[in-house]
Amino acid sequence: MFARIVCAAALLAAAPLTRTPAAEAAPQRIVSLNLCVDQLLLQLVPPERIASITWLSRSEGDPELLPLAQRLPVNHGSAEEVLASHPDLVIAGRFTTSATRRLLQKAGVPLLEIDPATDWEGIRRTTREIAAAVQAGARGEELIAAMDADLALLRSRPAHAPVRAIGWGGAADDVPGRDTLFNTILETAGAINLGARATGPASFDIEQVLRVQPQVLLRGAAYAAAPAMRNQIAAHPALRQQHYSVITYPEAVYGCAVPRAAALAVQLADELDRLRQKP
Amino acid sequence: MKRHTRLVLVLSLLLLLLAALSLVTGRGGQWLALPSDEAEARLLRLILWELRLPRLVLALLVGAALGLSGAVLQGLTRNPLAEPGLLGVSSGAALGAVIAIYTGLGFAWSLSIPLLGLAGAFGATALTLALGGGGGVLVLILAGAAVSALMLAGTALVLNLAPNPYAAYEITQWMMGSLTDRSWHEVLLAAPFVAAGVVLLLSTGRALDALGLGELQAASLGVDLARLRRRVLLGTALAVGAATAVTGAIGFIGLLAPHLVRARVGHEPGRVLWPAALCGALLLLASDLATRVLPVQPELKLGVLTALVGAPFFLWLVWRMKRVAP
Repeated sequence: MFARIVCAAALLAAAPLTRTPAAEAAPQRIVSLNLCVDQLLLQLVPPERIASITWLSRSEGDPELLPLAQRLPVNHGSAEEVLASHPDLVIAGRFTTSATRRLLQKAGVPLLEIDPATDWEGIRRTTREIAAAVQAGARGEELIAAMDADLALLRSRPAHAPVRAIGWGGAADDVPGRDTLFNTILETAGAINLGARATGPASFDIEQVLRVQPQVLLRGAAYAAAPAMRNQIAAHPALRQQHYSVITYPEAVYGCAVPRAAALAVQLADELDRLRQKP
Repeated sequence: MKRHTRLVLVLSLLLLLLAALSLVTGRGGQWLALPSDEAEARLLRLILWELRLPRLVLALLVGAALGLSGAVLQGLTRNPLAEPGLLGVSSGAALGAVIAIYTGLGFAWSLSIPLLGLAGAFGATALTLALGGGGGVLVLILAGAAVSALMLAGTALVLNLAPNPYAAYEITQWMMGSLTDRSWHEVLLAAPFVAAGVVLLLSTGRALDALGLGELQAASLGVDLARLRRRVLLGTALAVGAATAVTGAIGFIGLLAPHLVRARVGHEPGRVLWPAALCGALLLLASDLATRVLPVQPELKLGVLTALVGAPFFLWLVWRMKRVAP
């Protein structure tokens, strides 16, 4: 703990030295009110420029960014908290509460609202939009280039028969359908999304899941440690008697328009390849 | 006697018909297709045996428990508005089950869900009867409302403190009541308790008939009122508590079923019991079938459907009472 504080203090002390004249006008106290924006912000700007991210990122964010996220201050989305941290830029999802929006306006804090994206082009757009707002355009292009390299890698792989997959977390859960980033990642990785007959999220009962005969059940890994019914659903005898593989995935990245989604598509493609090789 | 037997027969026949229909109908009105190969046959067996059959059995058990306990409670309180939901039994059972699920106790030891459901139902029923038992109809209903409010507050507290945000979503869904994706596991958990409760409730018929004549008359006929009350309490808590613990809260079946059969068999509470149990099972099965066939996405919850049908009936009942007894 002490080491962590020292480390953070060192970063803060180093911040003024590394600041270039061009970055003078760039926002230095950025607040994110959205889990997805958190993931992008953590990759775009040095941590000392982030005033706070959402508390969700401490446990539910991109696994690769968790150590960094756990060092940063967090907010719980309340307008008061945000104002108290004196931000010079607030980035939020499209559905900011009108109370927060009004308060920020009164305080004269610029608010950037980001639309969710569901495909690779949308991720490029969102990344550039946020990168421009925080004046980290070059870093943004780096991230996009890495994403495009991953996508090119996937395209260059030999074609296989697509694996029949469905995203399903249990009775109370929604199945990601067409027009979702989940669907895009699955198709890019070489799978058919069996939930895609519906637009957006659909709901399936166990019988319907059995009927579409999935080879792979993709289960969201959010909050797996805390008790909830969705973590128990695979225990249903009807599901236990059917043959399929289970792959867990980080929900935050599969639902977030971040360039890292392409790296996860590569990971998924590797896992699907391993499944294909199994007898 | 003849009308009573005929009604029981007709209800049983309807029940058989709906049960068969429920076995061949899937979500979205999907019928069973005859399998063309071994894999399909296996899938069909799995769907029938592990999904549709336990769901059917649970619908019958829970519906009968709700219908019967409604009839007994209406007989005991001599009040047409009594039902397990109004007396706080369902919300007490829900509180118990929610505690078991969200502390993780229910996953470590599955019997804890119906047991805590029962404990909640017992606590709530006992409290309602203690508060409003001797004070006439209005006091009893008010006591039920107060106890329900207390149990709901407790449920909200558990939700509030649940460490998993999905839990809050799940429990609101669960409180709507549903039979979707239940297995034999749930049937086995609930069945012994429900069966014991049903047997106990069915045994109260004669005493309830005597009570229909008035408390003094019943006492002179040898009915021990305190004992009867305890028996009803125990039976309702067992049957409804265990049922609610595996299906979530399903309201108004207990209110509707006795009224629907009373028009045919007359007002003696004892004669209403069997038909009310059958009618409750019939209502719940029909509602469950409707949730599967209605083209609503996401699925319409069973408890929502019964409430949509039951609440207007409740309003009508109140309106009629006001007209009959101004």
